[in-house]
Amino acid sequence: MLLLELFWSFVKIGFTSFGGLSMIPLISAEMISHGWMTAHEVSDIVAIAEMTPGPLGLNCATFAGMRAAGILGAFVANMGALSPTYTLCAAAAVFFDKFRDNKRLGEIMTGVRPACVGMVAGVVVDLVLVNYAEAGNIHVPSVILGAVDLILLLKFHVSIPKVLMLSAIAGVIMFGVIGL
Amino acid sequence: MLAKLYIQFLKFGAFTFGGGWSIVAQMKEIYVNRDKIITDEELLDITSIGRSLPGTMIGNIAMFFGHRMAGFWGGVACMFGMITVPMIVLILITSFYTAFQSNLWVASAMRGVRTAVAPVILSALMGMVKSAFKFPPCYVIALVMFGLYFFLRMSPVWLVIIGAVLGLMMCEFYERRSH
Repeated sequence: MLLLELFWSFVKIGFTSFGGLSMIPLISAEMISHGWMTAHEVSDIVAIAEMTPGPLGLNCATFAGMRAAGILGAFVANMGALSPTYTLCAAAAVFFDKFRDNKRLGEIMTGVRPACVGMVAGVVVDLVLVNYAEAGNIHVPSVILGAVDLILLLKFHVSIPKVLMLSAIAGVIMFGVIGL
Repeated sequence: MLAKLYIQFLKFGAFTFGGGWSIVAQMKEIYVNRDKIITDEELLDITSIGRSLPGTMIGNIAMFFGHRMAGFWGGVACMFGMITVPMIVLILITSFYTAFQSNLWVASAMRGVRTAVAPVILSALMGMVKSAFKFPPCYVIALVMFGLYFFLRMSPVWLVIIGAVLGLMMCEFYERRSH
């Protein structure tokens, strides 16, 4: 039953996600509502997925599946996330030439892209509320570290895995050694 | 043939850090430049359709390529090849994470990493914004979807479907107006 729930959850995530970060709102909503991850763990899996090979959606599937039902759960969740690939995509491969010139897909994306921008912005606000607070108050050292990360990314174009590694080291020093 | 495809995509899958574009580059290197099995245009077609269909881009690309080489099971072989290494790596990391989550040093490192996640997503969002607003109503869609997601906690599944319908309506509207 749990395996079926996992599979179905990731089928939904798979069929309504169009690459990269557009999956995060879906993953976040599904994981938290089922109690398979906490808001902190959603942040952690996004970071882990960015630092390891493989696409975000599948890495989240493995993580959530493992946490919910072990290795079998990880496999089932992956199969759910890949369901559009071996159904829709396999069908499209047969009629590839028809699909190539299909402008409906582009038209659909005209509306889906701004919708994803809105939802991902919502996720960013969610994460800010969780990750820069401690016991309901703003945690200033975290805010400063976050601001530095943002500047590194936008102004100096440091790559995402590097920024995440630097933040991990900063975290060990700030929260572990100094105890901020 | 199936085994060969599986092993090749196993290698591709091991080197896809943070996004699907590196596998497209690897496929170009091997299948377009070295073996000359497909042309640049074909790879571009596969990539753009793989991207626009729902699901994971690299899974879709693997399916398209494998299907072209050896039919449905070729596609399945490429898809499984692609996910094998990432899945094993993530299974190991998840076990490690679960075991050491409460260790002071691991917890401190993860706390540091968490402060970077919102900036990482925000910077990627900036990249999405460029291509997201084709028509003026797109701004309204983004704003309304933000509200529906953040304040009303509507399911993203519905929001994506609503977005898709609005996309079709917008394109129809602007096409008619231009005639």
